[in-house]
Amino acid sequence: MMRRSFTVAAILIAAWIPSVLVAAEAPRADLVAKLCGETAAMGEAGRALTGLAQDGSPDDRRWAAPLARAMLDRKLSCDAVGGVLLTADGPQDAVTRAPRTAGERDRQPFLSLRNRALFETAAATLQLRTATDVGQRAAALRALERQTSGLPDRLFEIAADEESDAGLKAQILATAQAAALNSTDPAKRIGALKRIAATPDRRALAQIRPMTADPAYAANPEFRSAVDAAVTTINRGILTGDVLAALYNGLSFASILFMAAIGLAVIFGLMGVINLAQGEMIMIGAYVTWLVQEGLRHAAPALLDWYLIIAIPVAFLVTAGIGIALEAVLLRHLYKRPLMSLLATWAVSLFLINLVRVTFGTQNLNFVTPFYVTGGVPVIGDFIFTWNRMFAIAFAVVTLAITWGLMRLTPLGLNIRAVTQNRSMAACIGISVRRIDRLAFGLGSGLAGLAGLALAPIYSVNPQMGQNFIIDSFMVVVLGGVGTIVGTVVAALGIGQINVLIEPLWGAVAAKVIVLLMIITFLQWRPEGLFAIKGRRK
Amino acid sequence: MSLLSRRSFLHATAAATATLAAPALIRPGHAAGGTVKLGCLFSSSGTMANLEGRLNHVVRMAADEINAKGGVNGRTIEVAASDPASDAPIYAQVAKQMLEQDKVAALFGCWTSVSRKSVLPVVEQSKGLLFYPLHFEGDENSKNVVYVNSPPASSVLPAVDYLMSEDGVSAKRFFMIGSDYVWPRTINKQLKGYWKSKGIPETAWKEEYVPFGFSNFQTLVNQIRAFADQGGGKPVVVLTVVGSSIPDFLREFANQGIKATDIPVLGLDMVEADLEGLNTEPLVGHLNCWAYLQNAPGAANTAFLKKWADYVVAKKVPFKGDVVIDPMVSAYDSVHLWAMAAAKANSFDVPEVQKAFAGLSFDCPSGYKISMTAENNYVSRGVFIGSVNAKQGFDILWQSKDAPKPVPFSPYS
Repeated sequence: MMRRSFTVAAILIAAWIPSVLVAAEAPRADLVAKLCGETAAMGEAGRALTGLAQDGSPDDRRWAAPLARAMLDRKLSCDAVGGVLLTADGPQDAVTRAPRTAGERDRQPFLSLRNRALFETAAATLQLRTATDVGQRAAALRALERQTSGLPDRLFEIAADEESDAGLKAQILATAQAAALNSTDPAKRIGALKRIAATPDRRALAQIRPMTADPAYAANPEFRSAVDAAVTTINRGILTGDVLAALYNGLSFASILFMAAIGLAVIFGLMGVINLAQGEMIMIGAYVTWLVQEGLRHAAPALLDWYLIIAIPVAFLVTAGIGIALEAVLLRHLYKRPLMSLLATWAVSLFLINLVRVTFGTQNLNFVTPFYVTGGVPVIGDFIFTWNRMFAIAFAVVTLAITWGLMRLTPLGLNIRAVTQNRSMAACIGISVRRIDRLAFGLGSGLAGLAGLALAPIYSVNPQMGQNFIIDSFMVVVLGGVGTIVGTVVAALGIGQINVLIEPLWGAVAAKVIVLLMIITFLQWRPEGLFAIKGRRK
Repeated sequence: MSLLSRRSFLHATAAATATLAAPALIRPGHAAGGTVKLGCLFSSSGTMANLEGRLNHVVRMAADEINAKGGVNGRTIEVAASDPASDAPIYAQVAKQMLEQDKVAALFGCWTSVSRKSVLPVVEQSKGLLFYPLHFEGDENSKNVVYVNSPPASSVLPAVDYLMSEDGVSAKRFFMIGSDYVWPRTINKQLKGYWKSKGIPETAWKEEYVPFGFSNFQTLVNQIRAFADQGGGKPVVVLTVVGSSIPDFLREFANQGIKATDIPVLGLDMVEADLEGLNTEPLVGHLNCWAYLQNAPGAANTAFLKKWADYVVAKKVPFKGDVVIDPMVSAYDSVHLWAMAAAKANSFDVPEVQKAFAGLSFDCPSGYKISMTAENNYVSRGVFIGSVNAKQGFDILWQSKDAPKPVPFSPYS
């Protein structure tokens, strides 16, 4: 008896499934046709996909998710029959998902900016509902938090109900709460206010400020105090964020200035050689980094993401080698003639630029952006902590520590300092001044090479890049006081911070001029720079 | 002994120089011999090198093409290149030298408006002819310059209109950021006049300038975010920085997590070559506007792309064979326009060639028939609005039906 009823049920279900499939086919084919249609139809399809994220069956949602993604990545191919989805497992029909290759004269539909926003929403909502990985669902939620206005109204509610991860569930509910700012229930609105004020940035302020003109603001004292409290919290958050951002931007610019100048500080400080080819050492450092990346791409693709770390010794050694060769071949003959050495290093700089240009071409080099220098984290207010800048800051700090240790704790550093303070006396007590000169020049060039590596994720790398840094680095070295590491650090921090503070007020052009004027005035008053080495100098 | 040898050396050198220089002095430029000289004013060093450097080769390619068909008026074209090092005064100096010493029949050159402005008095004084292949700020109409690319009315304004329209993003607020020189400042002045005429209040825009070759855009991108978050309608960025500042800006923009759907950037000087070396996936959707895009449909473009790719291989040109930018096509058009005018005038004399411009038309690789009138030295070109794609190129978002008539002077400035 039991078995028979089961069989009947099974037959009934089996009969029912194909009819459901057929029923589902028609709207699906229609949707794909719209995706392949005109701009307006595409927009409709985008909204329909977002609608499916709330109202569609689990099967519908799983069907729709790759479509929304494919439209953004241009992985949908339209032909006479319909659409073909280019997936990792090969081409599939967009409607049935059976393997099929696109017919002749296929084209990939292309989203206008307006439609692109619709499909970004569709892809994120579908990802929130279908992704199997918690991290992916959380990422989708973060994307949706920024634009809660155009979403289906019950989306977050339903998503929260079905969410298995407790942490993410709470986050979804919180987002849903924020979306209730314009609801009719005053309690919900107050909840929304608190929620929005929890991420205090200018976007939140723009959302809440109109509330002061809301009828409820005058009528309901509770609502009024909630709005006022939210505005105060947000303003405080924005202020904190702005201060932090200014500090961070200043620090990041200072780290770049410091990296560019530290090599020069060693060379200029020790030998008094004005090395105009220092910028080109930075450029060569960046090119070596690129070569290491290309080498890894061929030899060990698994390590490709780590090329920035692997290239550190290579960039240092190659540029140091070039520096030592330069010193041995050219500069040591010119120590007594500073003007000649200036011209000679200028010639070297032109030579290196053109050599690189002829070898690699003038175009910007293509760098892989590893995950550890991609994007940023919003911290508070409008302050975003960007990883590529953090990389440069960390790199500068480590370089500073190592250079400091080398100069203070090693015999080489002791000798370099001795020669810097008094060349002839150092020679008299048996220091090989020639050897120290050469090593110091190598060290200075190697440090410039490292600067090139640190700058590769931030700036464009081309044969001209070194030219941008030479003036800034001389500025830092001269202001800091010739030959002192402390001076270089303080001068870089000062110039970086002042630049960043002036820029928003009077613009980048004025910032440059004002900083130069400040340096000139300062040097009038104190020509030896911030920190002068005590000792006899000729 | 040493004095004697130095003296004899001087004698020998003087004699040699005289012999070498004599024919040049006697021969009045293109009157004798089988060649006619054209001069190129494009930098292969300095901040514009990566962009301008390509144009030298394109001019040569166009000249080769004309020479293969028998040249112009029975002469073959010879191209003289130079390197003004991205430095405006040097452009003027080189132009003077080419016009007065080399007696070139026409000059092809300049990218930035500041270099054109510095060459302008030279070509006017020497009654020379300069073909200028860049879209620019307009408000200039010299009979010695052929403006091969579009003034703002037929490039920038259609793009801004598109962004402000329903089809675009209904842009309401504008952040202008440019390099500090004549082109960005004039363009922005005209844009502000245009917005005023549309009744957009002054509070809806903001203007910032950076020095040439500026690269540290962190603070400025912070300002753009703050501007956008103030609310009051869709914000867009009108980007008029040039050279290496473009990729540096885009990199920082993407790094701070701003997508094209949040704040679109309209890069007025942004070309395919600026995207080389960038990861363009987070930049998809940003816009530019030119009279040619590499993805322009049509057989003329396919043929041109193949021609360039073959030329790069054949002549070992140090640029990518698969990247073509608008100014390259405009420089190519320039050489052909000049050759057609010279052939029509049956002369290489500048006044004769100038007279022949009226009524010329040429099938540009962009797919449009470009043409000139007797009214001015402007060329009417098609209009494209491009959108950055993930493959370091631009997809065509919109293109004009035909080539609009150029308007040299903006009513908005």
